[in-house]
Amino acid sequence: MSYRIVTNNPSVRESYNSNNIIFIDGSYEDVLIKVRDLVHSGVELIDSPLGASIRMLLSPYRSILVGTERQAMNMDQILIIEQSILNYRTLTQRRKAEPEHANDYAVVDKELLKASIQAYEDMNCPTHSKFTGGEFLETRA
Amino acid sequence: MKLELRKIQIKDVVFGEKMEVNGGVLSINKDQLVAKLMEDHRVKEIKVDLAKPGEKTRIIPVKDCIEPRVKIEGEGKGFPGVTGKMVPLGDGKVNVLDGAAVVTIGDIVGFQEGVVDMWGEGAKWTPFSKTFNIVVDIIPVEGLEPHVHEETVRIAGLKAAEVIGEAGRYAEPTHVEVFEMGNHAEESAKYPNLPKVLYVEMLISQGLLHDGYIYGVNSQKILPTLIHPNEELDGAVISGNCVAACDKITTYQHQNNSAILDLYAEHGKTINFLGVILTPELTTLEGKFRTCDYTAKLCTMMGADGVIVSEEGYGNPDSDLLMICKRLEKNGIKTVLITDECSGWDGMSQPLADTTKEAVAVVSAGNVSHVVTLEPADRVIGSAKAISTLAGGWDGSLSEDGSIKCELNAVIGATSEIGYHNCTVKLY
Repeated sequence: MSYRIVTNNPSVRESYNSNNIIFIDGSYEDVLIKVRDLVHSGVELIDSPLGASIRMLLSPYRSILVGTERQAMNMDQILIIEQSILNYRTLTQRRKAEPEHANDYAVVDKELLKASIQAYEDMNCPTHSKFTGGEFLETRA
Repeated sequence: MKLELRKIQIKDVVFGEKMEVNGGVLSINKDQLVAKLMEDHRVKEIKVDLAKPGEKTRIIPVKDCIEPRVKIEGEGKGFPGVTGKMVPLGDGKVNVLDGAAVVTIGDIVGFQEGVVDMWGEGAKWTPFSKTFNIVVDIIPVEGLEPHVHEETVRIAGLKAAEVIGEAGRYAEPTHVEVFEMGNHAEESAKYPNLPKVLYVEMLISQGLLHDGYIYGVNSQKILPTLIHPNEELDGAVISGNCVAACDKITTYQHQNNSAILDLYAEHGKTINFLGVILTPELTTLEGKFRTCDYTAKLCTMMGADGVIVSEEGYGNPDSDLLMICKRLEKNGIKTVLITDECSGWDGMSQPLADTTKEAVAVVSAGNVSHVVTLEPADRVIGSAKAISTLAGGWDGSLSEDGSIKCELNAVIGATSEIGYHNCTVKLY
């Protein structure tokens, strides 16, 4: 259950242990390219590289979860990240930066990352619920 | 389960002394509404405005649209699990203020979009230009965390719809729609020769501004789940999605889900409609595999012959849509996808972020990149600043006369992937 965060979001860098961070001093696309290089070297792609909304493609910041160890190359994941880079370029070719909203994009990127880490940990934690049964509710209601 | 939606046609909306509907005119006591919403200590100020079809009015940035209703018989006050005590929905009689909508606005973060124009070119693209809108602007106290701010706005909208819905309690309906369906064994015995069809509705489930709720449960935390269509029509599914204005499913659209209504209309005639599976769109790849495998398993367990799948959003959810399709087709289940396209200004780019050869029956609800020009409004309800944001994504989009060139992407419900919108579809 270990992960690293590839990010260019300074607010993410400040909030997580530096051992878990691969900080990219660059653009959203630079983050995707770093993730691509890692996936090609056998590192697991944990997050889907693109967001769920067009607006977040305009974000200057992006944080993506990857694994920590090199394993065998995963062709599906290579296809996903390569395709994501192509899509990112197509979708943003007419866009321009919105520096006035940079802080807000940083906040939303960080919150989405938090949800993603939570989802990853939920899935990988063998005892993710401390609730032991329904006896309490059922017998004392 | 039997649900009666008793539609009261609203012909106008005014501010008045009482909350009532008289001769199709919805009267709203603004003070009463504001007082109710101010009960939440996180709310600093509430502004209420009215916007009517045809007026040169622009509403921005829209967070959610909700249909005001009141349950007059059966369980379920407001939105159970969210604004009311938890009870199962889907049974009883509901008075619906048909043609009215609560529209919430508020700046949760600076780059918010979501425009509803009540006239002209903009009105053509959004279904909420045809409703009499009660626009509720929710200004929270300072210092709220973004997710608390979002929750405050979401809950205020639902409460507003509940308070306004009360106005229809004693009004006579213009017409009544009845939705009744027995259990699977009963329905299948009734229609043994009709193909069994399930509807899979995907919900963005990814965190701040990107969430959906079922009886108040964040869909991020669920496995795909089976729900009776009546439950969704009765308000069990709530939108917490404040991005992707064109293809987010507002609470109003859940309450009036076109895919459900159309499947219901064919139930017992051409198909045996088995129900709805709500499927979260997660961010992690493992999460996507889990939900897609589970969705396909539920469809197979239910013995579906055919499945309609609708998406919410664009980008990584395209992968979920196609993974579900692949799995269903491999299990021998005929699958139809409803999505929208992000295919560039000229419509020539690859429409989805992912692809699979099994996706042979796909309904497109429109191109989100299609460019429209919105004339300047006489009146803006909400944030004038948000207009520059709307136009701000690319060069040269805000012209001197104040008209805006923007992509459909920014217009609420323009390319609704459940088909609750103004575009039509051609067969190729």
